[in-house]
Amino acid sequence: MHDSPKGKRASLFVTCMVDMLYPETGWAVVDVLEHLGITVDFPPKQTCCGQPAFNAGDRTSAKQVAIQFLKAFKDAEAIVTPSGSCAAMVRHEYPILFADDPQWFDEAKRLAAITWEFTEYLVGGLGISDLQLRLPKRRSFAFHDACHGLRMLGLGAAARTLLKNMDNAVVEELEESDVCCGFGGVFSVKMADVSGAMLKRKINGIQECSAETIVTGDVSCMTHMNGGLARTPSPKRVRHIADVLADGLPDKPS
Amino acid sequence: MRKNRDEIMSRLDAAHPPLGAIEGGLERLSVVPMEHLSPQQTVDRFKEQARLLSSSVYVPASADEAIRLVMDLLGDDNRVMSWAFEHIPLPGLEAAFRTNSIRVVSARDETIRVGITGADAALASTGSLVLLTGEGKPRLASLLPKVHMAIIRQDQILADLETWVATLHEQGLDAFQNTASAMIISGPSRTADIAMQLILGMHGPGELHIIILEPTHL
Amino acid sequence: MKVTSNDFTSTAKLSLMDDEMRRSVKQATTTAYQKRIDLMFEAGHAHGEALRQRAAQAKRRALQRLPDLLDQAEAKLTANGAHVLWASDGEKVNQLVLEIITRHAVTSVVKGKSMVSEEVGLNEALEDHGIEVIETDLGEYILQLADEPPSHIVIPVIHKSLTSIRDLFIEKLNMTPTDDGHEMAQFARRVLREKFLTADMGITGGNFIVSETGSICLVTNEGNGRMVTSLPRVHVALVGIEKMVATLEDFAILTQVLPRSATGQSMPVYTHMYNGPRKAGEPDGPDEMYVILVDNGRSAIFNSGYAQILTCIRCGACMNACPVYQATGGHAYGWVYPGPLGAVLTPLLVGLERARPLPHASSLCGACKQVCPVDIDLPQMLLDLRHDLYHRRAVDPILKWGLKLWAFGNRFPALFEFGGRIARLLTGDRSLKRLPGFLSRWTNYRDFPPFARESFRRQWRERRGD
Repeated sequence: MHDSPKGKRASLFVTCMVDMLYPETGWAVVDVLEHLGITVDFPPKQTCCGQPAFNAGDRTSAKQVAIQFLKAFKDAEAIVTPSGSCAAMVRHEYPILFADDPQWFDEAKRLAAITWEFTEYLVGGLGISDLQLRLPKRRSFAFHDACHGLRMLGLGAAARTLLKNMDNAVVEELEESDVCCGFGGVFSVKMADVSGAMLKRKINGIQECSAETIVTGDVSCMTHMNGGLARTPSPKRVRHIADVLADGLPDKPS
Repeated sequence: MRKNRDEIMSRLDAAHPPLGAIEGGLERLSVVPMEHLSPQQTVDRFKEQARLLSSSVYVPASADEAIRLVMDLLGDDNRVMSWAFEHIPLPGLEAAFRTNSIRVVSARDETIRVGITGADAALASTGSLVLLTGEGKPRLASLLPKVHMAIIRQDQILADLETWVATLHEQGLDAFQNTASAMIISGPSRTADIAMQLILGMHGPGELHIIILEPTHL
Repeated sequence: MKVTSNDFTSTAKLSLMDDEMRRSVKQATTTAYQKRIDLMFEAGHAHGEALRQRAAQAKRRALQRLPDLLDQAEAKLTANGAHVLWASDGEKVNQLVLEIITRHAVTSVVKGKSMVSEEVGLNEALEDHGIEVIETDLGEYILQLADEPPSHIVIPVIHKSLTSIRDLFIEKLNMTPTDDGHEMAQFARRVLREKFLTADMGITGGNFIVSETGSICLVTNEGNGRMVTSLPRVHVALVGIEKMVATLEDFAILTQVLPRSATGQSMPVYTHMYNGPRKAGEPDGPDEMYVILVDNGRSAIFNSGYAQILTCIRCGACMNACPVYQATGGHAYGWVYPGPLGAVLTPLLVGLERARPLPHASSLCGACKQVCPVDIDLPQMLLDLRHDLYHRRAVDPILKWGLKLWAFGNRFPALFEFGGRIARLLTGDRSLKRLPGFLSRWTNYRDFPPFARESFRRQWRERRGD
């Protein structure tokens, strides 16, 4: 599938939500990559992958935004993003979006071929399953499989492996971990009642899980789940896998 | 009505192939992969699968024992629905019925509890029976009564449905074409429509008894 | 059947509050979902995937050659004494059936389950002409008594609890009260028995047509299919033109994949193959057999970019796996086909304008594609339908202009960053419990997190230079 990114510079596609809402997650990714000796850069012209418009049916707007992505990453050798859904957008939908566009099609294909989700970059791309990390205290985690990452990219095993190999991390299973949390992008507002019902089901599963923290690979799903958990008495929250892994780094710069 | 046909066909013909290029082939694939089975293994496999479907399976030691089995299952009944004796591979059955004053009835009679048939083939991988229609082979015998008794020869048991289909091709499809209908029966009738509870015996028979005769009995 | 798909959001809202229905649906779908996994992958993951691909091949290749296969099937059936009729649309189906009824002096009809007959409103059309039509699949019979539409294509009464069925039987059929499912089924059996034995005509659907022999193939568990095709003098099979497969080999694979995927069975209890009416000398069976090949919008799909949906074998696995279907039940989808199948097929058959919400009734989680035994890419088709909807301007103005504004902001990094800053100013450093207007739909169910004081890109500039 992908050419190996070993030895290549990693260009961070931080994603619009991490950029605006969870910048610390962006730094967690940078810290983990630099801990492994990888050169990381941040192409400043990036904005969004265009997924929200694409999912809503507006391919014109999606394409405009996607072109900005292509421009921003024109010098990239490997693109790493802490989002399964954004990586899936670039890999699977960009070739469709640009199918009839001779000007941009080749570039879209090129970038699709070098875009990695964060955990698959580490385990699949670099071949590293054990980051030599150690949490200061014993903590328990369970993984929620964000849908696009799971079904379109085959993610899930990589993240669990990275977690399990972290000292002091206990990894448990979340019931129905592969059932959609109900976010679905614009679906979360367009079909808010159904989204809310699916959220309730996911939260029930989280509350019944014995793990202290739920971990996932997409901050969009995380935002939806934490937003719902905040309205329950439960102290449990969902965190991004990069943040959890960064907690296990020997020193905490930045 | 010709008009409807022409309309529909012209709409379909007007298209380019609707799905573009299709990869992959139509090679033979067994849904239930099985190593080659000896005759005994075939019988055992059939028994195991049929029982999983709540069919009762018997392998009597002789034709006489088979007849006793049939009589036991008939109990006090003296009227049955049945295929013609020439289509049921149990020698002595007709005589046994005469002796015991059991009448074969062809009416749509709800008081008849048992229907007796042979089969045209059986499938080991799924514990199924294949019944074809034809002269002397009433459909209702395996359908209306609450109890269906099927008597088959061991050598009628094929490995699986794919094998049966292959034999149809080998014989030439004309023979199959001349059959009004085929019924592949896998167990007694059932429903799960009432709150997903599994209930045996809906519209078809609620009991299926399969008697397998070994070649030495015949 | 009447199309109410445009009411999806309001119907869904009501059904979300129906705890009993949702419990029934959840229990049934998760059971079926698990059994399907167990059986499809019984011989290992690779074999299960190979089965799916082989099943997909059988349907796709048949679709490619559909006109030839229809021709061949018609010739075979006709040679075997069956009458093959063609119906462009629903009105024609009903007209043809009524003509057959008149020709054969039919006064009562017993029916096996047929989704096509629901599409065209056959029962109503016959009843309007004074013909008694009795559904015989137990689930469909229950719905007929309750005057409700089906909510699942394989388990049509998936939404009904045992007690509601019991109450229905007591009310409509004077059943002696019992909570025993077996007794209730036996009671229904006795009631329906009489109908089977006296009906003049049996109507069925068809799961597959094998073109090389013309065989109409039907799968049932109850035996009602056999009853309606063995007892009455006339058998009418209504079959969508897309049900075609080329060979008996294809049929052998599909008749085993279908029950595995639908209910976790290795074979249906009854797999029927009808080549024609009874032959001379046969003791029973229908004197006349009619096969009505139904278009009703299928040829239009054939010509569109959505032809793949015509390879569906109606197993219901997609709705069993769908968390949206599990939340809302089937009635919310507003027509014959619920769940992911319905979200794609309904707009294509009845028109997008009459089913605008359906392509959006999905979080695009992909579970349906994962379980589909013929590997249909339902999520991609939903995305394509959303695109079609957008281009027909069938979209919320607020959403439309919101997206345009959002796209504009995302084309210019400086504007993007500025937008983030404004958002931060407007919202402060606390979670938001209530957002205005359209966005209140978010906060009806969840908080929204505060915008970061400094965006990542700004922090990067400060710490790392440019």
